[in-house]
Amino acid sequence: MSSKEIIIDTSELRFIEGHGRLTVKISGKDVVAEFHNLEGPRFLTKYLRGKPAEMAPRVASRICGLCYTVHSISAAEAVERALGIKVSKEVRDLRNVLYLANNLRSHMMHLLYLSIPAIEGLISVLRMRDKNVFRVGSRILTKATELIEIWGGRSVHVPNVVVGGFGAPIRRKELLKSVKDLAGLLEDAQGFVRYAMDLELPDLERYRVLAASKKPGTYPIYSEDAAIALSDGSIMNGQEYYEGLEEVTKEYSTSKHVYFKDTEITVGALSRMMLNRRYLSFGARTLVEEVEWRINPFLVVKAQAVEVIHYMEELIRLGGELADVIMETENPAVCSVVDLETAEGAYGGSKGRGVFIAEAPRGMLCHSCEVEDGLIKEYRVYTPTAVNSMSIERDAVELVKRFRPIGMEKLKFILEDLVRSYDPCLSCAVSLDVYG
Amino acid sequence: MKLAFYSLTSCEGCLTTLITKLGPDLEGLWNNFDIDYFKLVREPVGGSRIPKADIAFVEGAVVTNLDREQLLEIRKNSRFVVALGTCASSGNIAYTASRGVDLKGRRLRDVEISEAEPISSVITVDYELSGCPVSAEEFTDALLRLVNSIEPVQPDFSVCYECKMKGNDCLLEKRRVCLGPLAMGGCGAACTSVGAPCFSCRGPAAEADLDAYLKTIEKKGVDRQRALMLLHMFTGKKVKEVLKNEQ
Repeated sequence: MSSKEIIIDTSELRFIEGHGRLTVKISGKDVVAEFHNLEGPRFLTKYLRGKPAEMAPRVASRICGLCYTVHSISAAEAVERALGIKVSKEVRDLRNVLYLANNLRSHMMHLLYLSIPAIEGLISVLRMRDKNVFRVGSRILTKATELIEIWGGRSVHVPNVVVGGFGAPIRRKELLKSVKDLAGLLEDAQGFVRYAMDLELPDLERYRVLAASKKPGTYPIYSEDAAIALSDGSIMNGQEYYEGLEEVTKEYSTSKHVYFKDTEITVGALSRMMLNRRYLSFGARTLVEEVEWRINPFLVVKAQAVEVIHYMEELIRLGGELADVIMETENPAVCSVVDLETAEGAYGGSKGRGVFIAEAPRGMLCHSCEVEDGLIKEYRVYTPTAVNSMSIERDAVELVKRFRPIGMEKLKFILEDLVRSYDPCLSCAVSLDVYG
Repeated sequence: MKLAFYSLTSCEGCLTTLITKLGPDLEGLWNNFDIDYFKLVREPVGGSRIPKADIAFVEGAVVTNLDREQLLEIRKNSRFVVALGTCASSGNIAYTASRGVDLKGRRLRDVEISEAEPISSVITVDYELSGCPVSAEEFTDALLRLVNSIEPVQPDFSVCYECKMKGNDCLLEKRRVCLGPLAMGGCGAACTSVGAPCFSCRGPAAEADLDAYLKTIEKKGVDRQRALMLLHMFTGKKVKEVLKNEQ
């Protein structure tokens, strides 16, 4: 490495999900950044090959301990699409609620434990001067987890999400209680979100194309017919987006990077905010006015804070609506489960391809599968972190170029904040591993 | 007393389970113990060096050379090492999934990948808490026992025990492949209670009897091959214990 001099090496990044590292080098006149994924692959998608299609949600859930619900729902949807299974509106509504609860949980985890303390220069959220921030934040986090437990059957790696619907119906009484509890936390949540909105963040505006789901009149998170919109004005359906994704291998990373038609795109809370913010819920819309939204990755923290209020308000609204629909007794419309795991294999003989795209906490997540004779032939997971990897590297270069005069020691911490603001999940990203 | 929480190759679901389940009570844990290393919660004391600890909790399987090096350091610096969750105690899905993958075909610059192993393949483990994810209640119980020098216990009954106590219909009766009779209980029959069959994510029960199970499912007309495939899924390396009597 004679011609290339490493000027910044974060070594193992603190406060991120998984194991990663960022280095910045000088190579001649160029500055080069490398975002290393050091997390080991667990070969979950390879494991699925040759397995019965209905196993996909259970295995995909293990991709990530923060956004497992999103992975299992996406897996169920991808398989359903491959096999041409139609699920009822009630199932979709319930999945939507579960999706929102998962995004709320993931955002709270990121804001409370990972990003805010580091931005404030603290060693831990438990060292914050205002103890109330931690107490309120962790209460919302626990409540979001409880919601997932009620809907999903367990707090982490939910077994209730299955191909075809839900394994068991959700009880109305529990549903109403959880909605009521969440409504009780909304005022406290405003305080927590205020704290995040008042953070002073560096300015690093850099143009690139943003991408997010788009559906007129809504702020789409989980939606069966949302299109994909780019900030350059183009709009496409899920299949077109999927076909534009390219996997690129890097020798310094255990996971592949993903490009879109040979170029950089950025997904995540900021992209959603830039493209869809006028459709946020009422409380979130008043907050959104406070920020001058620009393509500055550091603003993701504020975008997530706004989304926390949006998710809570949406959950309260949808939960209330659903409670009217769901009866205490088993509602066959909700519990439309095919008896999948019978000895014969429910999908023997059936085949097809399926792609499902939705807005996971960190951005657009794409699951795709090919099923043949009821068995999975190929399974791919394009995670938002894999898509954002190129943006992380380019922003790191930009940051170093612009802020070099403040010195490498200080710059290192800002660089870490930059990576963290993308909320990368390296355990997720590694599902697109470089082997085979 | 010093505690430390480490994460090797995993989804980090065990540590997040502890964080979210403890919720505001994490403050109590923080105030009562010296926690020098807890990924996701604090910046480690001493940077990348592994601090001395009385009890170390390790989640995740050993897949990379970095996992292996870190684990050896952890053993050297900790008096008591607890495997946290199924990845750490049996290798989880990664154990089976990583076998048969061509790992030699591509060399990475800084990371070497090998077949996934539970941490007990690399170091001596003092206690194992299995579960995918681990149960926060069992963690708290084990912690309280350990600080009082009492040996912690995990349930010796199978998932069927709790499932029956909850009054669920037996899934085997519906000819679905359920590993309940072989699987360690303590999860409150989370999966079977929502109609999803047990995949034995907590590893084998003390009372697991494979021969009897296979005879039972044969009688009920449940697919034997499928049951054995599922048994390999979460049970990882421990599947050998269960299969030892199977010819």
